Formats: sequence, structure tokens, C-alpha cells
Amino acid sequence: MNAVPSGGQRVVAAETVVSAPFFLRGELVEGSDATHRSRDLGVTFATPKLDLSRAVHPRTEVPPLLNVPLAEIIEFLVETGRRMTAPNNPFIRDCIDRMSSTHILPRAVLEGQVQGAAAYLDQRLLNAVVEQNFPDPRALDQWIPKQDYTGRKSFVRAFAPRLVHVLPGNSPGVAVKSIAQGALVKAINLFKMSSSDPFTTVAILRTMADIDPRHPIVRSMSAVYWRGGDDKVEQVLYRPQYFDKIVAWGGGDAINNVVKYLGPGFQLVSFDPKTSISMVGRQAFDTTESLDRAAELASADVMVLNQEACVASRFVYVEGSQADADRFSEKLQQRIAARAAASGDVRPLDMELREQVNTLMMLDDEYRVYGKTDGKGLVIRSDEPVDFHPINKIANVVRVDSLDDAMKYVNVATQTVGFYPFERMPDYRDRLASGGAQRIVRLGEAGPSTIGNPHDAMYPLHRFVHWMAHEDGTVTS
Amino acid sequence: MAAVIESVGSAVERLTRLVDAPDRYNHTPAELRAAQVAAMNERFQDRVGRIKVLAHRAQEAGISQVRSLEDVVPLLLPHTAYKSYPESFLMEERWDRLGKWLDTIATYRVPPQDRTRIRDVDDWIAKLQQSGHYVSCSSGTTGKSAMLVASKANAWGSGVKLARDRRMFGLAPVATVPRNEATGEAYTAVLQDPNSRRFHYPVPPITVGSLTQMVVLRKRMAEGTATPNELADFERISAERAKAVEDAVGITAQAIIEARRDKLHITGLWAGLYNVAKAVRDLGYAAKDFNPENSIYVGGGLKRARLPDNYREFVYETFNIQPERNYQNYSMQELHSGMPRCQQGNRYHIPPWVVPLLLDKSGDALLPTGAGEYEGRAAFFDLSVDGRWGGVISGDRISIDFRPCACGAKGASVRDNIVRYADLEGDDKIGCAGTVDAYVRGVS
Repeated sequence: MNAVPSGGQRVVAAETVVSAPFFLRGELVEGSDATHRSRDLGVTFATPKLDLSRAVHPRTEVPPLLNVPLAEIIEFLVETGRRMTAPNNPFIRDCIDRMSSTHILPRAVLEGQVQGAAAYLDQRLLNAVVEQNFPDPRALDQWIPKQDYTGRKSFVRAFAPRLVHVLPGNSPGVAVKSIAQGALVKAINLFKMSSSDPFTTVAILRTMADIDPRHPIVRSMSAVYWRGGDDKVEQVLYRPQYFDKIVAWGGGDAINNVVKYLGPGFQLVSFDPKTSISMVGRQAFDTTESLDRAAELASADVMVLNQEACVASRFVYVEGSQADADRFSEKLQQRIAARAAASGDVRPLDMELREQVNTLMMLDDEYRVYGKTDGKGLVIRSDEPVDFHPINKIANVVRVDSLDDAMKYVNVATQTVGFYPFERMPDYRDRLASGGAQRIVRLGEAGPSTIGNPHDAMYPLHRFVHWMAHEDGTVTS
Repeated sequence: MAAVIESVGSAVERLTRLVDAPDRYNHTPAELRAAQVAAMNERFQDRVGRIKVLAHRAQEAGISQVRSLEDVVPLLLPHTAYKSYPESFLMEERWDRLGKWLDTIATYRVPPQDRTRIRDVDDWIAKLQQSGHYVSCSSGTTGKSAMLVASKANAWGSGVKLARDRRMFGLAPVATVPRNEATGEAYTAVLQDPNSRRFHYPVPPITVGSLTQMVVLRKRMAEGTATPNELADFERISAERAKAVEDAVGITAQAIIEARRDKLHITGLWAGLYNVAKAVRDLGYAAKDFNPENSIYVGGGLKRARLPDNYREFVYETFNIQPERNYQNYSMQELHSGMPRCQQGNRYHIPPWVVPLLLDKSGDALLPTGAGEYEGRAAFFDLSVDGRWGGVISGDRISIDFRPCACGAKGASVRDNIVRYADLEGDDKIGCAGTVDAYVRGVS
């Protein structure tokens, strides 16, 4: 609520403004030249003026990380992870303080996320990521000699790219992952932070600068904020002369704004907005134990990051009678509520969502609602998916006669499909892929992922780099 | 005047009867308060047993009496409640179920419907009208339309008494829904000169059916079941409509130039008014060519149209509109009553039978107000609404002044700086979680 422009009484006291510094190619930039609003909690944060020239690395200079061996980069990242989780890290502590005032998730969940995010900075893990993304990871460190069947010789390099990362704000883990991936491909990175988290990326980069302020990895990183879609910034920066690729999360307006700047030499690598679902076969109803187990596993998938992430399940297709679906729904609701309570998550539902659910309560011969619209977790049982996007601890159990009938609900926005029983997964994976899905997992395992596996139907690191060929004549025999 | 309001009998009747009182805007909020609370309670007691969604609300909130403005807040329905029906009811043409949904928000029982005897949504609406349910439909800027049910008892229009000496010029396509038709008829009856003909904007009318067709196609696109040929047909129809809308500007400009000697009453939305005014100017005509007694009625806000800053003055100056003949209302499909624009103070006067409730942004709590101007989310209880619950939370951010207006009227008034919260949001938060809506292009 704002105060009225004139004449009337002021209704609300001035809000506190949280400071959000920038990080530009190794240097911290502080200031409060501009203020911005974060929608989620209606908090205002202050940033320095954005010096556009400092955000760009001239093409006449090769990227600072180009000739730093991958092994050294990984070592640096591992040390970063170690320092991130150290209890006396002032940058991270301060970041969580600030974030808990702007983020929609509870503090304990945020702390857990930062800890979890740091786990990505593991030597074996980072090596595995590189090995899965590149047939020959040495291409990151050197020009790899090749020869085709005609005898033509060449050298190929996975050359360090210039990347703009448009970060999402729903998971600090993405900040860590993006920094690590940008470093692994030796990129020059500009991170455009989100209004719901303008802190984490800078906190991690400060942790890195604390290790060695002149290290090329630190000089390759910038993190700034501007309002997404602001033409005054994007019209200037989004050009092939400054960047090779834009790595963007999200859809709708976030992507539409970016799309108009794409063209030769300036490509989009998009991590698309996704919905994840679960499939529960009739075998769940064989015994009380199997029913409890399926409900427990499904609740784990619904509550990944308290349902803020794309891997979190929102629709659970259940193969059985209405009575079966009702039994399952009841147990699922209890478990979602228990997980919500354990994490201290009491965020209320917004007005429109509450109204949608209330309406369904009224249409009680087709819909049944377990739990209340009090933000403590609820399940809606229906014969087809609800129109709205279930968020904030809401699952929609959709009853089907056969899981075959649930295939029509898989679409191009479907990401992870959690499956029960596990033996039935091979029967469905082709149809799931054809429908648009990207990942099928055992029910209850939506959260963890196999290290180095494709994400959003691609190997991202392979797409980040600037594949460069040096052709060197033909062998004479 | 306070005596009239405080007299015995039904508070609802006492307040709604003021529609014919010449000094209806001259009651202070304090004078009206007791009668308004009593009237809302009368409505509540009568409707809680009839409107299912209200009964549910009352039970959840534990409210059995409305004794204060605070008591009514948990009973207000967000404007989105009127589009809370599952879209599949439209997609699968389950008119019987859509009727059951309508029954949860209606005061008078919606009779069971035989879906096999209903052709389409327009037919569904026509059949409901036979049973005394008048369904109006808002043309929401995106997505589903709100379905608002009203009864025969609802009198639309503002009760403006004017001589029938004007030629009415509609400069906007109008949604063919009962509320708009009734308003249009009421205006025609009091304004239109029987010796000339009302000019209708030359584009096909927007029906509820045409609005829902779009919703259905969009949903089928999202599901991946819409075929390329269906999309091509849709694109063709859209292009034809766009052409008709484009042509309409020139046709209307010609017609209004020919009628320039008549005393005109011009109606429309800002975007259409501006485009016609521009075409008129381009043809070399301006204020001096038009009748100085012309009047104008503008409905709604900008509806996301992008116009030059001086669009209002440009329109007034083109058609020679003097400030005192500029009729504007602040209203919304969810209300039956309009709040007329003050001739002096850039404000809209709230009639006594519309109870203004200023809420916090989330719409959960009543803001404390006193004698001053306050800003918040607009909610209203319209006591003149009969066929459904009169309490609604809008999507608008408004400023209400509870002090007398500059024109001397003592009633509360709304400042003309109304904005939609949806237009204010424009944040750049993005997340990896999202819906298939982000994958549907060009159908909205």
C-alpha cells in the first residue's frame, strides 16, 4: 500500500529498504542509486547505478579463464563450496538475513537450500558434469586434433563463450549451478539477478573473491540487477558484439522480452518453465502398506522445495476407482500437511486461488477437497486436471481408469514424471517423451537427479560453448 | 436528509429508493453508515440460505450477523469468483454442469438443464433468460470470461433524465450481454432523438459465444489437440475481424462528419474514440465543425491501449465536448450501479446504495479510514444487486475521499486515478516452475 498522492492522510509508514550491491568483473559495487520492488513480499531493495560498460568484456581481449586448466577451475569451485558452508562466512549469513525479508520461503528452508546448493560444488560431481556434456572434455583446455576420412586435418576447441544468464528467483541452487557451469566452460558471465533474489549470486561471488580477488574465475563474473524487460538496458546489452548466448530461465513475458533481441550471433539457450506430475498405478492399492508408501513417495515429490520448483509434482494421476482415489487423496493430504508443518511453512493461499478451490468444494459431486484453504496443505480429487496451477502445497489427484488415459495430459510443459510402481516405467517412457516430457523417475525421487544428465532435453554445457574449428590442410599420402 | 435514511423499514429499500432523490450524493458517509450496515445485514440474512457460495463463506468465517463493515469483509467475493467455473465445462459443452456452477452463485435456483437440448453457450444463456436468469459476461483481457447472473428485478442504468434530442453515436464494439443491452436501451430511451437513428459501430457484435470460442481454442492448443487447420481458420477469422475493426474507424469518421450539425451523444472506449477522432482530424474537421452541445460517455479505462498523453483532450477538442457534457461512470461488470463523474472535481460520486470498502492489497482486511482520502483495493457492496451476492472485491486500486467533494456534495467520492493491480505488478520474477500457458502463442 502506498500513501495517497496528495491531500489525504498517509496510511502506511515508510518501508525499510534492503541493500543489494552488484559485482562487476571481480569488484563489489555498492550504492543506492536506484530502488526496485520485489513482488513476493512487497519489499523494496536498493542497487547502485548500473555501469553498462563495466558489464561487458571487450572482444579484443580473450576470456580470462581461457588458459586456466579445468582442474584448477574445479579446485577453485570446490573451495568456494567449502567456504559457502562454513559457519563464519559473513557474505552468506548476511545474504540469508536479507533474503528472508524478500523471499517467499521460510528462513530454515533457505538455509537448507544454500547448504544443498553448495553440495553441487563437489569435485567428482563437477567432473562428471563435464564428462557427460562433452564427448572429449579436453576440448575445454586445448585444441583437439582431428582428421576426417578424406585426410583433412583440424583442431577443435570448446572455446570460452560470453554468456548472459537470466536467473530465476525461486531457488538459490540455480545461482550456484549457473556460476559453476559458467566457470566450467570458462565463460565470461553476466548474471542478471531476479527481483525475488538479488542477493545470493553476489554473496557467492564475494565468497569467491575472498579466496583470491585477482583469480581469472572471479574476473570472469558479474552479477547485476535491472528490471527484466527494461529496454534501456537490454536494448544496449543484448547484442552479439557483447555476448554469444543468453541463458534464460522462465517463460511468458520473461522470454518474450528476450526473444526480440535474438538474431545471428546472439542465441537463446532456454530453460523452460515446467510442470511436473506423478503417476500412481493400481498396484498402489494392493495392500495398506503399498498405499501408505505410494502416498508417502508422492508427498515427497509434491513438497520438493515446498512446491516452488519445477520438479515438484502438482498433478497426481491415480489409476483406480473413485473410492481408491479418495483413500489415496486423504493419505496424501495428511503427508503434505505434515511436511508443510515440519518446515514451518504457513504461507496462506492467495485470494484467487482460495476462491477457485472454494468453488470446487461447492461442486462436490465431481470434486472432493481434502484439507482446507488455510495454506497448510490440501488435495483436490477430480476426474480431470483443475484449470489452475496448483502451488503452495496443493496437489490435484486426477482419477483415471488406466494410466494410458493419463498420457493425454502430458504436454510440452511437462518436465518430471514420478512413477509408481517402478516396473511400469519402461512401458510408458516412449509415450511420455512423445508427449513432451523430459524425465521419468521413480515416485519420490523427483528431487535428486543423476549427475550430468540432460536438463530440459539438452546437454546445456555443450550448447554454451563457442565451438571453434582450426582447419589445417589435408594429409598427403 | 438523515431522517430519510434513519426511518424505520427495510434499510435496503430506504437506500435503493434514493435512486430518484435529486440530492442522493449529498449524504455524508457517517450519515449513511448505520443504514448501510443494516442493509448489508438484511441482504446477508436473506441470501445466506440461498446463495451457496455465501453460505460456505459465512460458515468458514463464523459469521451470522453483519454488525459492522469489518463483518462483511470475509463475505465479499473476489471478482474472479465469477469465473471460477472449470473450463472443461465449456470445452466439453457440459451446460448442465455449468448450470450447477451458476447455481452456487445465484440467488434464485437455476433449474436443471438438459445439455442435449442446448446448442452452444449463447443458447445456454438464452435458455437461462427464459427462467429469469440474466447472464452477463465480462470480456476479460485474458482467459476466461466472468459469468455474472442477474435477475429481472435488477434495473440497470443510472436514471439519467434527459430530453430525447440527441443522435447517439456508438464508437466501440459492444459485448452483447444483458447488462450492456439494458444499459444501452435505457440510454436510448432517454437520449435518442426519435427523428434520427442511432449509429451503431460497424463491426459484428461480440457475443459470449465468440468470447468462449477463444478460451476453448486456447485450452486445446495448450493440450496439444488443436490441429494446424483449426488454427489457420482461427487466424483467418481473427484477421477478418481485425479488418472490420480497422475499416470501422474510417466508416464511423465519415458518418460522424456527415452528422456534425446534429446534437450528438458519443459513446465508446478511449482507444476507439481516439482513433475515430484522429481520422476526423485527418479529414480536416475539428471542434469548430461540431455542435457545441455535444455530449460524451466513456466506459472503462484504457484497457491496455497505448495512446498519447493528451488523448482525452484530443477527443474532447475534436468533437467540441464541453466539460459539463462529459458523462463518465466508474463501474464494473460486477456492479449494477455506476458512479458518475463529478463535473468539477475529477472524481466519481458513490451513490448511497453502494457501500465502498477499502481493503489492503491482498483483499483480506478492511483498512482503517476516517475523514480523509485513502488508497487501497476497491471493494463494494452494491445493494441494488438482486440475482447474486452484492459484495465484490475488485482488481482496482482506488483512492476514496470520505470528505465532501469540491462540488459541495457531501458523499464519498473516488479519485480518477484508478489503476488495475494487474497492470501495476509487472515484476520480473521468473522461476523454473511454470505452466503450459507460456507455450501458447497468439491465442488470447
